[in-house]
Amino acid sequence: MAQGSHRAAYGFIAPAVFLMIAILIAPVVIAAALSFTDYSLGNAGFDWVGLENYDRMVSRSTYTKMLSATALYVLTVVPISIALGLGAALLINSVKRFGDIYKTIYFLPVMAALLAMALVWEFALHPTLGMINNTLASGCGTWIEAFFGWHWLPWADDAPSWFENGCASGFPLWFGDKDYSLWTVAFIGIWQAFGFNMVLYLAGLTSVPRELYQAAAMDGATTAWDRFRLVTWPMLGPTTVFVVTITTIRSFQVFDTIEAITQGGPAKSTFVMMFAIYEKAIQHNLMGMGSAITVVFLGFVLILTFVQRHLVERRVHYS
Amino acid sequence: MNNQVHPVREAIKHAVLILGALIVILPFYVMVSYSLKSPHEIESNTGGFFGAQEPMVDEYCVKLGNPRDACVETPVVYNYTQAFKKAPLLRYLLNGILVTASIFIIQVLVALPCAYALSKLKFWGRDFVFGLVMFCLLIPVHAIALPIYIMLAKIGLTNTYASLVIPWTISVFGIFLMRQFFMTVPDDLIDAARMDGMSEFSIIWKVMLPTAVPALLAFAIFSVVAHWNDYFWPRVAITGNRDLYTPPLGLREFKGDADGSIWGPMMATATIIVTPLIAAFLLAQRRFIEGITLSGMK
Repeated sequence: MAQGSHRAAYGFIAPAVFLMIAILIAPVVIAAALSFTDYSLGNAGFDWVGLENYDRMVSRSTYTKMLSATALYVLTVVPISIALGLGAALLINSVKRFGDIYKTIYFLPVMAALLAMALVWEFALHPTLGMINNTLASGCGTWIEAFFGWHWLPWADDAPSWFENGCASGFPLWFGDKDYSLWTVAFIGIWQAFGFNMVLYLAGLTSVPRELYQAAAMDGATTAWDRFRLVTWPMLGPTTVFVVTITTIRSFQVFDTIEAITQGGPAKSTFVMMFAIYEKAIQHNLMGMGSAITVVFLGFVLILTFVQRHLVERRVHYS
Repeated sequence: MNNQVHPVREAIKHAVLILGALIVILPFYVMVSYSLKSPHEIESNTGGFFGAQEPMVDEYCVKLGNPRDACVETPVVYNYTQAFKKAPLLRYLLNGILVTASIFIIQVLVALPCAYALSKLKFWGRDFVFGLVMFCLLIPVHAIALPIYIMLAKIGLTNTYASLVIPWTISVFGIFLMRQFFMTVPDDLIDAARMDGMSEFSIIWKVMLPTAVPALLAFAIFSVVAHWNDYFWPRVAITGNRDLYTPPLGLREFKGDADGSIWGPMMATATIIVTPLIAAFLLAQRRFIEGITLSGMK
């Protein structure tokens, strides 16, 4: 190798190394340091407050609500969007025709600006003007209400059903009701994410060797469920590990829908971590507290990625 | 495995898939439909998909002192012209293009030489630099937005174009991706270029860059989609200066003054912002799906 290439190399890596340190490494260090302070922008100095910020996170109800809202959101969006993504991929893979059309449609939400679609969903779910509640209300007093009253079921009791309650006293406010808001926001998250997971699973499915199905059939795996349980699911293992990691990291970062629609409310029911960082640090200038949330957030992400890498490495060895 | 089609089973599968497709399309339907309707039709939920398109009077235009018949428009024209009039949407769109393009170009300028050095040049500390890249892959930039914001505020760069671009100038994922790609480029090609007396610098741009076009295209889609649609970082970095708004920030402004008449123009704005990427996706689906799921190659 030419002697000159050695020196040239340092010139080539210098900008990247500088930016990695300045934009990625330094902020992590700064966040870690500031999380032990009461720093605010514009103040000349700051005081070290030890673990006070972290202590608040587990003792103040605002922050415990933040942790539980984030956990609920992630634990709802991740399994459902993965199950739907896998289900859609399996169905699309098994139909004879039009599979590509479904694939295209299901991928559309991944491409669209989430903020724009959040505002559209908010409008569609508007309590009085929205088409969802209007459509539900138009079913009141018809056979639809009778059907969803469930009283025709032999084991049904006389209590009014969800639908009858809606007809009698109005359908949910969705984002305005603390019993519904988190689930409604999670619904949008699932709506947006499952197409991405579907595409990854479709790619994973193409790499499952056909002979394995024949071999499984000879061993007596006759039903579709057997084929899935014994061949498809194990072979999709590496895809699943990746899909779980990336969906979890993305759901942790949910922000657009929260900021645009609920602002963390009502009653902090949708006060997720990214929005908490934005509200507490950027808007209220509580940089110490914001940094502490950032550190906890990074901790989650790092643990997840390490677990993923560990699992991937274990699996790669036998292939 | 039997390959014959059971008509009933096939029909059930399609029924499930169609139901899913309807739910997925619903907000797109609402968005486009309401961008076509008059305020009255939106409030009363009438008019079907296209609205009746009966000419309507723009009350705001009348208030400005114009004669009533000069202010008559069809709803679709009203909504889409208001989208550009109520807010400087054209400016927001140009900002969006400027920011996304700058981010991508700088990412390539930084990542390509680094990826070349990591894959094709021997130098002391190479393993360390590659280790650094692998470590940085763990850090999502959104998660460290706050310390980056503090740093930018300290050097007085918030509320500038630079603040929209700087955090994204380094794409460790881009470096990693291009390095993996360059590993597959035969050394003979580079040796031949050296024989011809090319400098290492021109090898990057005249030899490596052309071979990397497919990978770069996928990366371009990955990068452009992410930053055109990004709302979080612009929200953090731009606090007051509307001249610097990117399209999502501009759209968000509509919510501030929400009376009934604003819904049509707001949905028109949303349609305008969402359409370019959707159209490009429909035209080049394979490439887009490859690009967006690139991170799956890690």
